[in-house]
Amino acid sequence: MIAVSNLGKRYGSLEAVKNVTFEIPTGEVIGLLGPNGAGKTTIMKILTGYIYPSYGSAEINGYSIFNDPLEIKRSVGYLPENAPLYTDLNVMEYLNFVAESRRLQGEQKKQRMDWVVEECGLAEVVYRNIDEISKGYKQRTGLAQAIIHDPEILILDEPTTGLDPNQIIEIRELIKRFGREKTVILSTHRLQEVEATCKRVIILNEGEIVAQGTTEEIWREMKGETMLDLTLKGGTGPDDSILQVAGVKKLIERRELSKATFNLHLSLAPDSGALEGVFDWAIAKGYKILAMVPQRLSLEDIFIKLTGEESENVN
Amino acid sequence: MSINILPIIKKEFKSYFNSPIAYIVLVAFLVFTSVWLFYLQQFFTRNVASLRIYFGIIPVVFIFLMPAITMRSWAEEKKMGTIEILLTLPFKEGELVIGKFLAALGMLIIMMMLTLPIPLLLSPFGTFDWGEIFSQYFGLLLIGAAGISLGLFISAQATNQLSAFIIGVIVLLFLTLVAQVTQVAQLPPWAAGFFNYLSLGYHFESFGRGLIDSRDLFYYLLVISLFLYLNTKTLVFQKWH
Repeated sequence: MIAVSNLGKRYGSLEAVKNVTFEIPTGEVIGLLGPNGAGKTTIMKILTGYIYPSYGSAEINGYSIFNDPLEIKRSVGYLPENAPLYTDLNVMEYLNFVAESRRLQGEQKKQRMDWVVEECGLAEVVYRNIDEISKGYKQRTGLAQAIIHDPEILILDEPTTGLDPNQIIEIRELIKRFGREKTVILSTHRLQEVEATCKRVIILNEGEIVAQGTTEEIWREMKGETMLDLTLKGGTGPDDSILQVAGVKKLIERRELSKATFNLHLSLAPDSGALEGVFDWAIAKGYKILAMVPQRLSLEDIFIKLTGEESENVN
Repeated sequence: MSINILPIIKKEFKSYFNSPIAYIVLVAFLVFTSVWLFYLQQFFTRNVASLRIYFGIIPVVFIFLMPAITMRSWAEEKKMGTIEILLTLPFKEGELVIGKFLAALGMLIIMMMLTLPIPLLLSPFGTFDWGEIFSQYFGLLLIGAAGISLGLFISAQATNQLSAFIIGVIVLLFLTLVAQVTQVAQLPPWAAGFFNYLSLGYHFESFGRGLIDSRDLFYYLLVISLFLYLNTKTLVFQKWH
């Protein structure tokens, strides 16, 4: 359980995080989503005890970041952005250092080290110097370091950057497996990442939370409209009479695909029965419907709306 | 909870010896001090059974070698970003500082042990005062440890190892040799006394002559603990910024 309340961080005159409040129950994978500079990394650095906030508070399993930093560091595993590593050690020496720092000893230490090497696919490089291994292996070594003590809470800053598609899938599987029993917070500026791994998402922009909830909740909240992709055949093409159909809000785009075949992009009011109306309209006008594909607002659309175009809409 | 510093010491030591820096420091140290003793100072033609001349130059060599040992310790962690790993492992800031200090001290002790052949091999040629040699070693350990503590503190302020090294050398140069300046320049007694008290080199003089003076011992322990303390405070301070 992570509870963050009215958290803020100033770097000089820049306020990187502003009055952020959220709670994360145990056993969830949650994504911090936002463009670069939205404050994701700063929030993670505060939660891991690396920096203090300028105001507000944060608790992890009831431990305060101010009063019980050691307890927090014990229960958290952390992969910082770009997976910084000791390049003058080899992978084994590095994992051994982290294991011993986490007070793992003897047989238990050996077991945990074997487990992370296996789990993160590091067997081939364990005795290689860290400055000689590829970006993908470095990222996995960083992840191995974060999970070696089987932490209650795993905090991953951009865990899949620099990985190839196969490696990304592997890491996501690992994160999901971990998320069944533990709490995982990951940050990303990529939407597929959230859609692929996270149950809940917190969307940040310029240091503030602009939306939070399960991906379903955010969709429901945000779906002011549904898109309809419609392909018709017949005649000289549809006219503006389609706008008279109840629930059709806007004709966004109209293209002629080939002779007498047209593609329309419509925006519909939610739950208005507009789909049936459009169908009846097409029959009445004598068109053949070749394709009729309703499209939900994708998380990407929502994201752009919240972080890019939002200010224009509000003002 | 018990104190947890052994993993830090082991890691630092591996880092020293996995990079060229440890070997460069050790070789430079041995070559320079030996050339000084046998070639520049003509130890055998002097015909005196004392290593005062040898141990006297080592604090000067330390001006360059102690910052070389400590320059990476914090600056490189900051540059590589590994400090974020280190500070989020379950250590207290003080444990990290002591761990790095003891690792560097280990390097210093290795350097000291590598000089042992010199008194041992020379012992058949004359009657050496072993009490004096012990005091000289003890003094070197203290002045070296003070240089390490200061060097670590400077590395914690620096953003890269080169600036940590240069600033470290300048500060140690001043603190080690300021006592020589007071001998040449005509300073009012209070000023001379003040600079002498500050000087790392001045407090070494009695150790070099074979005397262990508790005031000098206290001075070194004060310098060592002061900069270890300030180093710890620096780490805490940086969490707020």
